[in-house]
Amino acid sequence: MVEAFAVASGKGGTGKTTSTLALGMALAEEYDVTVVDADMGMANMLFHAGLSDVETTLHDVLAADAPVEAATYERFGMTVVPCGTSLDDFRDADPDRLREVVAELAADTDVLLLDSAAALDSRAAVLPIVLADRVIVVLQPTIPALSDALKVQEYATSYGTDVAGLLFNKVHDDDAIERIADKTERYFDGPTLATVPDSEAAREARRAGRPLLAHAPATPPAEAFRRAAAAIEVRDGGPEAVADRFRSAVIPDSP
Amino acid sequence: MNVPDGTLVRSRVVGDPRDPLAAALDRRLTGYAVFEPQEALLLDGGSRGIVTFRDGVPELVYYTGTDHGGPTALADLAMPGPYHVELYRLGPDELASIGAHEELVVPPGMPAERLAGDPALAASTRRAAPGDRELSVADDSDESGQTEPGAVEAFLADEAKIDAIKTQAREEAQRRAEEWGFE
Repeated sequence: MVEAFAVASGKGGTGKTTSTLALGMALAEEYDVTVVDADMGMANMLFHAGLSDVETTLHDVLAADAPVEAATYERFGMTVVPCGTSLDDFRDADPDRLREVVAELAADTDVLLLDSAAALDSRAAVLPIVLADRVIVVLQPTIPALSDALKVQEYATSYGTDVAGLLFNKVHDDDAIERIADKTERYFDGPTLATVPDSEAAREARRAGRPLLAHAPATPPAEAFRRAAAAIEVRDGGPEAVADRFRSAVIPDSP
Repeated sequence: MNVPDGTLVRSRVVGDPRDPLAAALDRRLTGYAVFEPQEALLLDGGSRGIVTFRDGVPELVYYTGTDHGGPTALADLAMPGPYHVELYRLGPDELASIGAHEELVVPPGMPAERLAGDPALAASTRRAAPGDRELSVADDSDESGQTEPGAVEAFLADEAKIDAIKTQAREEAQRRAEEWGFE
């Protein structure tokens, strides 16, 4: 069983990396989970997962300087593939190799979560959405975030990627969010997976370099992320077929 | 709303409406900004949003396409960019000549919240606002960036606008697929 999800939002600051790691940890209760920092230009998963000192990252793999397994780290019950923060390494990295990397990782896991760039303005930013089976859209209940979430959905479906659901994050007003979520769902192909309350716990976890579910597992946002994970029905698919599919995905070799 | 001709101080196309709001605050601009969203061409034929500023802090908002003012006009204007934005400087007397127009007034931090989705910029704007502004107009945003649900729900009720956003995004995705070499 392998399904690849892109965790995406058109806009920065929605808490995408926190969400990716939280969903990953919650899904890891049941599945083998691999999380990949596919936000190659603005990597920050390493800071969230206590990996800021590691030597080898996805950048090295994409620059063909290291095999995939050298950039995978077993942390918090998951396999974590961080990206580095060096701009030089970013320049050397070939985003098209991500397809190969995803195919290789897919052969050995149940659920792949690709933390995607908070933008749709470049090929590298959109690539994780293209490669994924489904997209999990992280958004806040604000007009700019909703507009961007709509754009993410339209990009995803234009490239043959379905919508797994919406994750409202950093939510302040519990009463209004139900009405907003109801109205929002009418425009999306997936359901609301959960609404996650804004919380100091998420910021503390980030500062501590630990995923929210490890740092503050009994807090309301952690519980909401677990509900979101439970609402995702991971689809069956043979790992080999999936790996093949990634290898033959729609992206041609770079010129 | 009749706005006197000001002195053009900045004109550019921006992807994020945060830029002109931040520029107006940095310059402590007294004057106004004209926002022309690219999508307005699709929706209602070149409509513009006008935001007036006193010392960098937004005061009045008006949207020509819908003839709405205040928070509702911000909801009309909130679209994915790019926007063509011009900033104009006015003398304090010229700004005063626009009139009070209570129906056009927005709380100081609201444009940064609604248009840019930037709680930090909204908080800086509120700090820059004179004390009486905060007392005279109830801001819908607290320090943590919470926003009034009414405008979000109004945005979600506007099916034509959302359809236009989706259509534009699909067209953009398809056009870029060719540029990026996706088959």
